[in-house]
Amino acid sequence: MLYLKLVLRNTKRSARDYLIYFVTMTLCVTLFYGFLSVTSRYYKPDLGVEYDLDLMSDGMKMAVCLVSLLLLFLIWYVNGYMIKSRQKEFALQTIMGMERRTTAGMFFAETFLMGIFSVLCGILLGMLGSQFITAMLLRSYGRPYRFSWTLFPDTVALTLVFFAAAYLIMGIWNMRAIQKIPVIEMLNAGRKNEEDFRKSGWMPGLTVLYGGLLCWMTTEGISKAYYYWDPRYALPVHLMFLSNILIPAAALLYGAVWLLTRRRHRNAGRIRVLMAGWLCFSLAAACAAASTAPVSMEYYLPTGAGTLNLHMLFLLIDIIYFICSLIYLANDGLCLLKEHFPRIRYREENLFFFGQMISKLRTTTKTVTLICITLTLSACLLLSVPFLAGWADGYLEQRAVYDIQISTDYTDTYEESELPDDDYGFVTDHLMEQGITVKDDYTFYMYLPEREEFHQRVKYEFPAVAISLSDYNHLLTMRGYEPVALDEDEFGLQWQSIATEESRKEFLSENRQTDTDVGTLTLSEDSIYDFELGETLYNNYTDVVYIFPDSVCEKLLAVDRNRYIVTEETVPLEKAVELERIFGEVYPETDTGVHYTIRTSTQQINSTTAMIFILRAVMTYGAVVLLVICFTILALQQLCDLPKWQYRFGVLRKMGVEKSHLDRIILLQLIVWFGLPVLVSAVVSAAVMGYFFQMYSAQINAYIGAGELSAQVSAVTAVLAGLLLCYFASTWRMCSGISGGKPQKIL
Amino acid sequence: MREILRLEHIQKYYGNVGNITKAIRDISFSVEEGEFTGIMGASGSGKTTLLNCISTIDTVSAGQIYLDGQDVTEISEKDIARFRRENLGFIFQDFNLLDTLTVSENIALALTINKVPAGEIDARVSEIARKLDILSVLDKYPYQISGGQKQRCACARAVVNHPKLILADEPTGALDSHSSRMLLGTISGLNEQMNATILMVTHDAFSASYARRILFLRDGEIFTEIRRGNESRRVFFDKILDVLTMMGGSTDAVS
Repeated sequence: MLYLKLVLRNTKRSARDYLIYFVTMTLCVTLFYGFLSVTSRYYKPDLGVEYDLDLMSDGMKMAVCLVSLLLLFLIWYVNGYMIKSRQKEFALQTIMGMERRTTAGMFFAETFLMGIFSVLCGILLGMLGSQFITAMLLRSYGRPYRFSWTLFPDTVALTLVFFAAAYLIMGIWNMRAIQKIPVIEMLNAGRKNEEDFRKSGWMPGLTVLYGGLLCWMTTEGISKAYYYWDPRYALPVHLMFLSNILIPAAALLYGAVWLLTRRRHRNAGRIRVLMAGWLCFSLAAACAAASTAPVSMEYYLPTGAGTLNLHMLFLLIDIIYFICSLIYLANDGLCLLKEHFPRIRYREENLFFFGQMISKLRTTTKTVTLICITLTLSACLLLSVPFLAGWADGYLEQRAVYDIQISTDYTDTYEESELPDDDYGFVTDHLMEQGITVKDDYTFYMYLPEREEFHQRVKYEFPAVAISLSDYNHLLTMRGYEPVALDEDEFGLQWQSIATEESRKEFLSENRQTDTDVGTLTLSEDSIYDFELGETLYNNYTDVVYIFPDSVCEKLLAVDRNRYIVTEETVPLEKAVELERIFGEVYPETDTGVHYTIRTSTQQINSTTAMIFILRAVMTYGAVVLLVICFTILALQQLCDLPKWQYRFGVLRKMGVEKSHLDRIILLQLIVWFGLPVLVSAVVSAAVMGYFFQMYSAQINAYIGAGELSAQVSAVTAVLAGLLLCYFASTWRMCSGISGGKPQKIL
Repeated sequence: MREILRLEHIQKYYGNVGNITKAIRDISFSVEEGEFTGIMGASGSGKTTLLNCISTIDTVSAGQIYLDGQDVTEISEKDIARFRRENLGFIFQDFNLLDTLTVSENIALALTINKVPAGEIDARVSEIARKLDILSVLDKYPYQISGGQKQRCACARAVVNHPKLILADEPTGALDSHSSRMLLGTISGLNEQMNATILMVTHDAFSASYARRILFLRDGEIFTEIRRGNESRRVFFDKILDVLTMMGGSTDAVS
C-alpha cells in the first residue's frame, strides 16, 4: 500500500517535472492513433462506391507500424533521461533498506502509469488527428469533408497494445539498468560536476572511412569517363566527367600531403586540418556528383540508372561527411574565435558562454551530428511530400482525362502490315452488357508525317506523330473544349504540358515547316495548343503531336489506333477491373508487335490516389516522428544539464553577475544549441530540395505549378518552424528558472 | 588604520510568527583595512549566516552593515550584483570553479565581469597566477589539477579585482593537511603582501591560527574575541584551543 502511494505520488510529481516526456509521449500516441485510424475496419469515409480502401489500408498499417518502431528509440532515450535525473532518489531508497528490485519496480510502475496516462490523452487527441487525416484522405479523392467525432475500437486496442508492449520492454530494460548501477555512483550522480571534455574518436574514424570512399569515387569517375567519354560532347559534359575525377582525386592528394607532413608540422598535422580540407572538398565533390543527373538528362548521355544511382549515393556520402565535419569543426571554430579575438573573448560574460558551448559541443558532437542528419532527412521528407504528391496528383489528372482510354504502341512492330486497325467494339458491347451508358465514344488513328520514319527506333529521336484535324476537334469536344480550325497547307501543334519552354522553343525554331509524304506544311502561328488530352496521344519520348488537315492525314501511314470513351456515370471499380481483364485476354502482352493498352480512370484514380495518400501520410508521419525525436533529444540534452547549470550560474551570481545577463546567456545558449543543428540542416535540406526542384522543374510546372509548390513548401516550413518554436520555448521556460532568485547560500 | 567593515547590532531571524529561529541575535564588530579576521564557532552558532549577510547573499532582519562607509543593507536588489562584484571576493569550501573554463579563464572571468579592458586581462591573470604559484596550470581545466591548486585558483579569482573585502568560507574544508597548510600560507601572504582584508569562517583551530584576530560566536552572539598581537602562531593556536574548550563547557549545563 505504501509502495502504491509512493508510486502515485512520484508519478504525479514526475508528470510535472518531466513535462517534455509527457508531451512527447502524448504527441507520439496522437500521431500513431491518427494515422492508424484510417486502417480501421470501422473506418468508412464517404468515398463513393467506385473506390476501395483495402489497398490503402493494408499499406498504411504496415508503414505506420514500421515508422512507429522509431518511437521505441525515443521512449528508451526519454526513460534513460528520467533514470539519470532520479538516480539520487534511487540511491536514498536503497540506502534506507529498500531492495534494488523494489526500487526499479517502483520506477517501472511510475513510468508505466505515466505512459498509460499519456496513451489515454494521446488517443483523445488522436481522434482529432484522425479527423485531420480523414480530411486529407477525402481531399485526395476529391470528396467533401465533414467533421465527425469517432473512436475506433480496433485502433484503440492496437495503440494500447503497441505502447503497452513498448513500455513493458523499456521497463524491463530500465529495471535491469537501475539494478546494475552501483549505489555510490547513483548517490554522487548530482554532485559530479567536473567532466572530461575530450572528444571521442568517432570522427577521425569516419574521416579514414571517407578517405576510402574518396578512392572509390575517383576510380568510379575514371571508369565512367573511360566508358562514356566522347570528345563531341558539349563543355558541361566534359566538366561533369572531369570534376567527378579531379575533385575526389584532389581530396586524396590533400590527404596524402597531410599524412606526409604531419610529423614535421605539429599544429598542421592535427586531424582537424585534414577534416577542414575535406569539408571543402566534400562540398565540391557533392556538387560534382549532383551534376551527373541533370547533365545526363540535358545532353541525353547514355549513362544508365546504375551510374546515376551511384552518383546519388556519392552525393549522399558527401553530404553526410560535410554535416559531420561541419558540426565537429564548429567547436574548433568557436575555440579559434575565442583564442584569436581577445576583445570578443573578454567581453562581459563571453568567457563563460564560450565555456558552456564548447564543453557541451565537445561532449555531444556525435548526438548533435546525428540530430542534424536526422533533421535534414526529416525536412527533406516533409518538403518532398507536396512535390511528390503534387506530381502524382497532377500526372493523374492529366492521364485519366477520359473514362476509358484504349491506345496502341507501334514501337515494337517492324512490318507495316502488322499495324493496328481494330475498333475495339467488344469494349462498348461489354459496357452495354454491364448497364453502363456510353456518353461519347471515338476511335481514331495517329499518323507518321513521313513513312520512312516508321523505322526510326533510336531513343530520343522518335518522330512526333500526327492527328487529323477532325479527330483532334472531336477529342476537344469530348473534353468540353471548342473545336479549332486549320488551313489546307498548314499544320498545328498540340503540346503535352510536361514539355519545357526550352524544348518548345527549340522545336519551333527547327519546325516552322514540316515535311510530310504529301508535301511541306507550314506552321499556323495561331494553332499551338496544350489542352489536356491524355498522354496516350503522344509517341514515345515526344511531347508534341502534329495537327494536320484531314486531306493530308488520309495519305499518311497510320501507326496507332486509339479509342477514347466517356461514360454517363463513373465505371465502378470492380467492373473496371473486369473490363481490363477481358481486354488483356483479347490483346495479351507480347514481346514484339503492337502493344495494346486499356486504362480506366476508376482504376487509375483508385490505385494512384491510394498510393499518393499512403506516400503523403507515411512521409508526413515519418518526418514528424523524426522531428519530434530530434527536438525532444535537443531539449532533454539541455534539461539534463540543469543541475550543472544551477551550479555554474550560481557561481556567476555569487561573482556579481546581474540576472538580466544570466537570462541573456541562457537564451543565447539555447539559440546556439537549437540553432546550430537546425541551421545546418535547414541549409543542407534547402540545397538538396532546391536541386531536386530545379531538376524536375518541368514536372513541377506541368503538374503542380511553381506558385502552388512554393505555397505548400512555405506552409510546411511554417509548420516546422512552429514545432521548433514550441520545443524551444518550453525548454527556455524550464531553463530560465535557474537564473532567478537570490544566489545559493554559502552552506 | 581605516575601518573597512562595521556591523551594528545585526539580527537575523528565520521562520514565521510562533516558530522563529534566531540565527543571529545581536552582533556588532568592525574590521580594519588589511586585517585578517577569523570567525569561529560550533555548528549552528550563526557564523555562516553572518557571512551570508555580509556578502549580501542574505538579508538582515535588523541592524546595519557598513562596507567602506556604505550601508549594504540599503542597497537595492538592482544594484546588489554590481556592489558584490566591485567590492567583494569569495573563496568557498568547494572551490566554486567553473568546470567548463581553464584556470586562467576562471580568473579572467572575474575581471571581464568587472569590465576590465581586454588588453589588461592576460597580464593581470599572469601576475596573480605568479604570486599564487599556479602559472604552470593556467591552461588546465579544474578536473586536471589538484585540490590545493584549485583553491589557489579560487583565491586568485577572489583577489584579482583587488576587492575591499575577501570572504573565505571554510577554505580548507575540502583539502588535505598539506594543501591546507599551503593554502593558509597563501591567504596569509595575500594579507601581508597585498594588504588584503580577509574575513575567514572556519571551525578548524589550526586554520584560524593564521588569522590575526578571532571572533568566537555562540548561539548567534559574539562569545569572545582574541587577537594574536606579536605572539607566535603556536601560542595563538593554544589560545584558540583554550577558548574553544571554554566555549564547549556551558556553566548552565552543569548547574
